[in-house]
Amino acid sequence: MASCTIHTAPYSCSISRPAAKAFSLGFHQRHQQLIFFSSGRRSAVVCSAEKTVVIGLAADSGCGKSTFMRRLTSVFGGAAEPPRGGNPDSNTLISDTTTVICLDDYHSLDRTGRKEKGVTALDPRANDFDLMYEQVKAIKDGVAVEKPIYNHVTGLLDPPELIKPPKILVIEGLHPMYDSRVRDLLDFSIYLDISNEVKFAWKIQRDMAERGHSLESIKASIEARKPDFDAYIDPQKQYADAVIEVLPTQLIPDDDEGKVLRVRLIMKEGVKRFAPIYLFDEGSTISWIPCGRKLTCSYPGIKFFYGPETYFSNEVSVVEMDGKFDRLDELIYVESHLSNLSTKFYGEVTQQMLKHSDFPGSNNGTGLFQTIVGLKIRDLYEQIVAERAAASAAAAKV
Amino acid sequence: MATAAAAGISLSSPIRTVPVAKAELLGRKPVRIGQMLPLQRMAATAGRGRVVVVKGTQSSTPPDISEKVEESIKKAEEACAGDAVSGECAAAWDEVEELSAAASHAREALKANSDPLENYCKDNPEADECRTYDN
Repeated sequence: MASCTIHTAPYSCSISRPAAKAFSLGFHQRHQQLIFFSSGRRSAVVCSAEKTVVIGLAADSGCGKSTFMRRLTSVFGGAAEPPRGGNPDSNTLISDTTTVICLDDYHSLDRTGRKEKGVTALDPRANDFDLMYEQVKAIKDGVAVEKPIYNHVTGLLDPPELIKPPKILVIEGLHPMYDSRVRDLLDFSIYLDISNEVKFAWKIQRDMAERGHSLESIKASIEARKPDFDAYIDPQKQYADAVIEVLPTQLIPDDDEGKVLRVRLIMKEGVKRFAPIYLFDEGSTISWIPCGRKLTCSYPGIKFFYGPETYFSNEVSVVEMDGKFDRLDELIYVESHLSNLSTKFYGEVTQQMLKHSDFPGSNNGTGLFQTIVGLKIRDLYEQIVAERAAASAAAAKV
Repeated sequence: MATAAAAGISLSSPIRTVPVAKAELLGRKPVRIGQMLPLQRMAATAGRGRVVVVKGTQSSTPPDISEKVEESIKKAEEACAGDAVSGECAAAWDEVEELSAAASHAREALKANSDPLENYCKDNPEADECRTYDN
């Protein structure tokens, strides 16, 4: 087994042998790991001096993950696109620095298989967590993998595609934090928690234009999936480092349109390399209405809240925004009063929000907090890179 | 065809244009009815009767996915008519959800690819046609 003699810990530059057992999954594909043989060039190709940073994003389908992905990849620069020349139904997105993998690709049962067993995609029995763990670990260690593709249109498992280790890997799906082994590989995890009323309103918006759908069918679909969702997906939020909770607004009585939202960013305390954002004074409880003499807002206005709380027996800080942005100056005013945003220059959050003003949620807390989480992840990544550079400098001296 | 009609585009009748010869005589390029101003359209159709205006709907799902969604909803309703809490019922509605999500992605992709200028500007943001003026 060849190994990199030059680099020592913390880089694990061992080349893994192909897995001994062939994964006999329903679709008859063995995942192969690409082995780089060190032929003279011992250090260059083989040992990726940087282990991939892995981010996990959990949410139910139709809950804005793809919008989040686009905002996130935009923070890092460049647009994420499906791999060129590959399967057109691939769920993967690739940009210069980031690769986004959809965890639906690790379904062990395709649509027919699930129907036979009477199992939803939310059920762990429909997913191959062993393969998920093996492949995410391999990518994190700098080894390219052949990842299966789950075709959402046909409901079948397509032939695999090659995924090369990127600088940042984002795994999005229903179960990124379900398996404890995969959870331990994540450098940062986010859970998008959409309340039932808002979910209903969003799905109506999405599906009502569709022929065949009616209010009853949308409702029935949500209800039928709820038991599995509550049993398998929802519990993951206790493990997340950041939870974005979307609730109906409290500013408009009996609002059922879901246009104005109350969004809470719940940030776990004590997470390595992650400093929660705060309003005015860290650790205190603040209730803030920015609209007044200096700033005029239109109905229903904006309301902020910040404070420490307990969430599933974890210490957390919560920043909450209720209302929506109507004008640019509201956005910049709010940004100037938030702290610990990890922006590189004043107004970066506003700039990012404006860049994607056509995305859903760009005028309320969902877009704001998704953008802020994106900046936090960028900061986390840069901290990791700096740590590695420092470590290698120290190792070189020794 | 029902699907095409649902998509908002009429395939059966051709697009009527202003009589080409006359327009070219005037030195102007022939203009499609759909692009004409209302006054012009009235003048063009005077005495001609029916005008077919091609109207593309804003967000139309590709028909094959749309059909799949419809079928899956029917199947789910059947599956749940028997036993509303069974695994089969849940799996059927889960399939509906999956296909609805795929349909919405397809709609977005269609919208994203429909404007050739946007596609060109995505690849060439520094081109003259793609300049944006913010201030």
